[in-house]
Amino acid sequence: MPAVFQAVTVDYVAVAPMLIVVAGALVGVLVEAFAPRARRHGIEVVLTLAVLLAALVVLAVWSRDHLAVTVGGALSVDGVALFLQGTLLVLSILSVLVMAERFGGVGSDAFTPMGASTPGSGQEDAATRAGYATSEVFPLTLFAVFGMMIFVSANDLITMFVGLEVLSLPLYVMTGLSRRRRLLSQEAALKYFLLGAFSSAFFLFGSALLYGFAGSSDLKAIAQAISSSAGGLDGLLLPGVVLTLIGLLFKIGAVPFHSWTPDAYQGAPTPVTGFMAACTKLAAFGAILRLAYVGVAGNRWDWQIGVVAIAILTMVVGAVLSVTQTDVKRLLAYSSIAHAGFILVGVLAFSKAAIGGVMFYLLAYGATTIAAFAIVTMVRQDGSEASHLSQWAGLGRRHPVVAGSFAFLLLAFAGIPLTSGFTAKFATFAPAVASGTAGIVMVVVGVLASAVTAFVYVRLIVLMYFTEPVDGVVALPASIGSKLAIGVGLAVTLLAGVAPTYALQLAGNASQFLL
Amino acid sequence: MTGTGEQVMFWILGPLAVVGSLGLVFAKKAVHAALGMAMTMIILGVFYLAQEADFLGVIQIFVYTGAVMMLFLFVVMLVGVDSSDSLVETLTGQRWATAVLAIGLGGILGAQVGKATVGQSVGLAAVNAQTGNVSGVAQLIFGRYVWVFEATSALLITAALGAMVLAHRERLGRGPDQKEWSKRRFQEGKHLAGLPAPGVYARHNAVDTPALLPDGTPSELSVSRVLTARDQNLSPSTYTDGEREIERDVREGSER
Repeated sequence: MPAVFQAVTVDYVAVAPMLIVVAGALVGVLVEAFAPRARRHGIEVVLTLAVLLAALVVLAVWSRDHLAVTVGGALSVDGVALFLQGTLLVLSILSVLVMAERFGGVGSDAFTPMGASTPGSGQEDAATRAGYATSEVFPLTLFAVFGMMIFVSANDLITMFVGLEVLSLPLYVMTGLSRRRRLLSQEAALKYFLLGAFSSAFFLFGSALLYGFAGSSDLKAIAQAISSSAGGLDGLLLPGVVLTLIGLLFKIGAVPFHSWTPDAYQGAPTPVTGFMAACTKLAAFGAILRLAYVGVAGNRWDWQIGVVAIAILTMVVGAVLSVTQTDVKRLLAYSSIAHAGFILVGVLAFSKAAIGGVMFYLLAYGATTIAAFAIVTMVRQDGSEASHLSQWAGLGRRHPVVAGSFAFLLLAFAGIPLTSGFTAKFATFAPAVASGTAGIVMVVVGVLASAVTAFVYVRLIVLMYFTEPVDGVVALPASIGSKLAIGVGLAVTLLAGVAPTYALQLAGNASQFLL
Repeated sequence: MTGTGEQVMFWILGPLAVVGSLGLVFAKKAVHAALGMAMTMIILGVFYLAQEADFLGVIQIFVYTGAVMMLFLFVVMLVGVDSSDSLVETLTGQRWATAVLAIGLGGILGAQVGKATVGQSVGLAAVNAQTGNVSGVAQLIFGRYVWVFEATSALLITAALGAMVLAHRERLGRGPDQKEWSKRRFQEGKHLAGLPAPGVYARHNAVDTPALLPDGTPSELSVSRVLTARDQNLSPSTYTDGEREIERDVREGSER
C-alpha cells in the first residue's frame, strides 16, 4: 500500500524572482518562434531587460521578507542567496545591455547572423545581408541566469548539480556564436564544453561519495553526518569533498583547473565574456560559499590546506601569466584568474565578515569587469575588435573618454585606493588576516600578486597614453544601452571605492546562512 | 545480505561491464565504442534489477540502451562510420602523462574510499513493500525534488534551442525548381537527359559505384559529389571482373 503523497510546501514569494526569470526565458523562446524576423532583436532586448528588472524588483521588495528554506529543503533562500541573486540580476542587466549593442547593424554586433553557417562562407554573407541575427542569445542568457540563481541558493547537492548544468549549457552555446574570428570562437566553445562536462563529472562523483557518507544529498544532513560520524564511512568524506570542490573550482577558473579560461574568454563574443567573468564567477563562488560553510565546514581541517594551496597557486599563476599576454581579452582572463584567487582567500577565512567581504568583492568585480569588456567591444580596427595590445597604443590621445574609463577600470582591477578594487580587497583580506597563519600567508601572497598585476595594468595605461597612436584604430560610438552599462559599471566602481559603507553593510547584513 | 546467485551474477557481469567501458575508451571505431557502452548500460540495468530497484533497472535499459544509445548509433552512422579522427598526437607524451595521473588519482581515491567500512546492507525490500517501487521514486521526484525536476525542463529547452542555433541552416532565398533546372540544362546544352544514374550491374547496384560509359570507363558524373569528396566510392572493376568471369564460364560451357 503506497503511502499518501504529501506535496512539499513552496514559498512562492521567496522563489518568485527565479520563476519570473524562467517564465521570461520561455516567452523569449516563443518570440523567436513567432515574431517577425525584423522585430525580434528589439522585442527580445526589451523583454529580457523587463524580465530581469521585474525579478530584481520582486526580489528587493517582497522576497527579502521571505527568507526560507523551501521546496522540502532543496532551496535555501537566505540572506546570502538573496544578496547574490540580486547582484546577479543587476550584473546580468548590464550584460544584456552590452549584448544588445548593434553599432548601427541589424542584430547584435557581437553575435554571428547564423550560427550554423560555415565561417567565411557565402551563406554567412547572405545571412548578414538578409538581416539575420542570433537573437536566441537573449533567452539563452535568461536560462543561464536562472541556473545561476538556483546555483547560489541550492541547499542540496542534486539541486546544485542541476543548477550547474542549467547555467553552463547556455554559456557553451553562446561562447560559439561570435560574429568575428568564428573558428576561434567555435574552438573555444568546444573546449569549454568538453572541460565543463569533465568537471561536472567530478562534481557528480564527489556528490555520490558525499551521499554515500551522509545518506542524504542535503547540505544540512551532510553537516550533521560529519559532526556525528561514527568513523566507519570517513573514507568517503574527504574524496567526496575534494571532488565536489574540484567541480566548483573549475567554474571559477582556479589554478590548476583554469586552462579553459583564457581560451574561452578570448574566443567568446566579448559581451558574453563579460557575462561569464562576472556572473558565472559570482554564481560559482555562491555555491562554494554554501558548500564550504553550510555543508562540509565540519571537517575543514582535512581539506582546507589543499584549497589554501590552490588559492595561492591561482593568485601567483594568474598574476605572473598576465604579464606575458599580448591580447586584451586574454589579459583580462588571466586577471580574472588572479581575482578568483583573491576571492578564495576570503572564502577560506571562515567567518561571517568573510562572507560579507566575498559578496562585496563579487559585486564590485562584476560591475568593473562587465564595463571593461564593454569597452573592449568598442575599440575596432578595420571593423573587427582591436584586441591585440599593440592596437591600443595611443588610444588615449584619440579617444580620451573611452581610454580614461578603461584606465579607471584597470586601476580598480589593480586595487588602487578610491576604487572598488581597494575596498573589495580590504573587505576580503581583513577577515583572512584575522583567521590565522594560513590567512596571513595568503594575504601576503595576494598583495604581492596584486603588485604584479598592477604592473600589467599600468603598462597598458602607459601604452594608451604615452605612445604614438596606431592608424585605423577607432572607438565606435556606443549606443545608449552600452553607455548606460559602462556608466553604471564606472559608477559602482567609483562609489564602492569612495563610499562603500552602504554596499558593505548590505552585504554584511545578508551574510547569514539559513539552516 | 547478498545471495549466492546474485554474487555469481555480479562476478560474471561486473567484469563484462568493465570490459564494455574500456571498449568505449579504447575502441578505434565509433560504432564499437557505442556498442561497448550499450553493453555496460544494459549490465548496469541488470544490476539495478538484481538490487530490487525494478523501475530504475527497466528505465535504465529502456532509456539509455533503447533510446539514447540508439540515437547515438544513428548519429555515428549518419556522420559516417569511416570518419575516424587522426591519431596524430599534438601534445607529445600526453598519453603517458594521462595514464600516470589517472592511475595515481584512481589509486588515491581507491585507497581512501576502500578505508570505509560499510555496515550490513539493508536492501530495498522493506521500502518496496511499504511505499512501492515506482511510487517511491515518484514521491521523491514530485516531492522534495520537484523544483529540480522542473528546472530540468529549462535544460531540455536550452539543449533544443542550442541545437537549433548551432546546427539549423535556414535556406536563404529560393532555390531553382525542377522546371528551371531543365531550362538551364537546355540553355547550357549539357546533360540534356539529366546526369547519368550510378552503376547498375548484373548482381549488384549501388549509389556508391560509378556507372560505366559505353567505352567501359567509369563516369564520375554518376555518383554523388559528397561520396567522391569523402573518398567513399567503390571501383566498378570488382563487379565488371566478376561479370567477365561469368561470361567466360558461359563461353567455356557452351564450347564444351
